[in-house]
Amino acid sequence: MITIEGVTKRYGQTVAVRDISFSVERGEILGFLGPNGAGKTTTMRVITGYFPPTTGNVTVCGHSVLDEPIEVKRRIGYVPENPSMYNDMTTIDYLRFVGAVKGVPKAVLKGRVEDTVDRCALKSVVNRRVGELSRGYRQRVALGQALINDPPVLVLDEPTTGLDPKQIYEIRQLIGSMAGERTVILSTHILPEVSMTCNKVVIINEGRIVAVDSTENIGKGLDQTRSISLVARGPFDKIKRCLASIDGVGGVKQEGESYTVETDKGNDLRPLIAKRVVDEGFELLELSSRAMSLEDVFLKLVTVEEEEKTS
Amino acid sequence: MRNIAEIYKREIRFYFTSPIAYVVMIIFTAIFGFFFYRSLIYYSELSYQLMQNPYYGQRIDLILGVFGPVFGNNAIIFLMMIPPISMRLIAEEKKSGTIELLFTYPVKDGHIVIGKWLAAATIVAVMLILTLPAPFMAFGFTQSAEWGPVFAGYLGLFLMGISFLSLGILISALSENQIVAIIISYGVLLGFWFLGWVMDPSSGKTIGKVLSELSIIDHLNNFVKGMIDTKDVVYYVLFIFVSLFLSLRVLESKRWRG
Ligand SMILES: Nc1ncnc2c1ncn2[C@@H]1O[C@H](COP(=O)(O)OP(=O)(O)OP(=O)(O)O)[C@@H](O)[C@H]1O
Ligand SMILES: [Mg+2]
Repeated sequence: MITIEGVTKRYGQTVAVRDISFSVERGEILGFLGPNGAGKTTTMRVITGYFPPTTGNVTVCGHSVLDEPIEVKRRIGYVPENPSMYNDMTTIDYLRFVGAVKGVPKAVLKGRVEDTVDRCALKSVVNRRVGELSRGYRQRVALGQALINDPPVLVLDEPTTGLDPKQIYEIRQLIGSMAGERTVILSTHILPEVSMTCNKVVIINEGRIVAVDSTENIGKGLDQTRSISLVARGPFDKIKRCLASIDGVGGVKQEGESYTVETDKGNDLRPLIAKRVVDEGFELLELSSRAMSLEDVFLKLVTVEEEEKTS
Repeated sequence: MRNIAEIYKREIRFYFTSPIAYVVMIIFTAIFGFFFYRSLIYYSELSYQLMQNPYYGQRIDLILGVFGPVFGNNAIIFLMMIPPISMRLIAEEKKSGTIELLFTYPVKDGHIVIGKWLAAATIVAVMLILTLPAPFMAFGFTQSAEWGPVFAGYLGLFLMGISFLSLGILISALSENQIVAIIISYGVLLGFWFLGWVMDPSSGKTIGKVLSELSIIDHLNNFVKGMIDTKDVVYYVLFIFVSLFLSLRVLESKRWRG
């Protein structure tokens, strides 16, 4: 559906995005995750045809953004990071204007505007000027203008930033409700948002892609380490030494009576650890294992990058 | 076509719901009216005196006597009143960021420029239409109505106004600050105006002739005298075309650089 091939984008001397490639299948919701300044907005602007890439290409539904920008733009609805809309227009006039400019046939425009107003819950503000609306409503109007021509692809740049929890929930519901029918690329730096709404993640840092995977796999697939945390009573250094001596244990961290054990590869060391701790005569109070959360993966990937650079 | 029409309609609606178009139109018609009134008074006194004297009994020309000076002065009012209309066209969208969405809609850049240009040209046309009561009144005075030369004068003013406007769009595309845009517009337009003054074209030097040919004001002279010369029409049309073409180029290159 959408293919990004070797896209590099430079602003003068600064390289914002460096040779990135990934693809999104029909009906997928892709989370585009990265810290501030990673190049998310830049990538989205290339996809939407706002500016061409310095090198590389983007194809949307078989149309290249370089050769057929109009065809690409026809198929994408875009919500920018801080959507600037015509503040002097009323919501309904604005939606009508965008629909007409995007080429919605006259005969169906009225119905389409009504549908969009319903879908984005804008009924109460149709006659208010866009400039007077609250942040939450502005965001819905922005979503409305993206949806007005019923495009198969939606590109949303941090759609929930600056909204209150209720609005965030509603916008996420709205995005979730489009799963399957539309292809969505959604950028964010809020990790739970990705686990909640997306089925695929691309992690980008300093203009480079550091990971691409499904939301479930990204924790285990990328990095096989699991961490096991346990609470045990006894002399700290003895317990630590005992844990470290177990085969397959990577590292041990201690904090009060809690210990975190990093294990490598997939095999589950919990029974072995429990046995050893008890055999050595310490009191085992708790033992649990957890896969890395998206947050861990993210921090890990981003910091690994940083270490590699400094070394 | 529909794209152009929609962008045109939005701009027109903006002009007529914001004070700018009204302010410009009111000041423009007021100054035009004042010049017209002064010329008419002067003209009627002059013709009254001439009628007293049987040797000078011939009719003096309404075109040369009244409309010539009025149209001539009008050039300077246009120079002041058109940049306020053109300055916002692109600069404002860049400043407020609305251009980001506009550029991601399935619309050609050229259609955006043409839609905006047509809207501003409509304002210029309305400004001129508002002054039409003047020739009607003048012809009421003298009965010797001759519309041809007056039409030529209006055509010349319109072409010159649109030229000012097109240059204004180019400058608006180059800047995102409207104040900077308006000041540069004044500077460049005055520059084109003074080109004709740099050297006396009648001095016979080629350079003087060339500069005078490039001057945006000198091409109005024939129109003001009631004559439509193809050379002058071509000048203005070219001026408009080049300005719009460069505006388009600027839009594209700005986007290239981000
Ligand atoms: N118009 C511009 N001119 C020059 N540099 C720019 C421009 N826009 C972005 N950059 C730079 O490009 C890099 C990527 O910026 P981008 O806006 O794409 O990041 P982002 O991932 O969207 O960040 P955020 O989470 O803060 O929105 C940054 O280093 C930024 O400073
Ligand atoms: Mg961004």
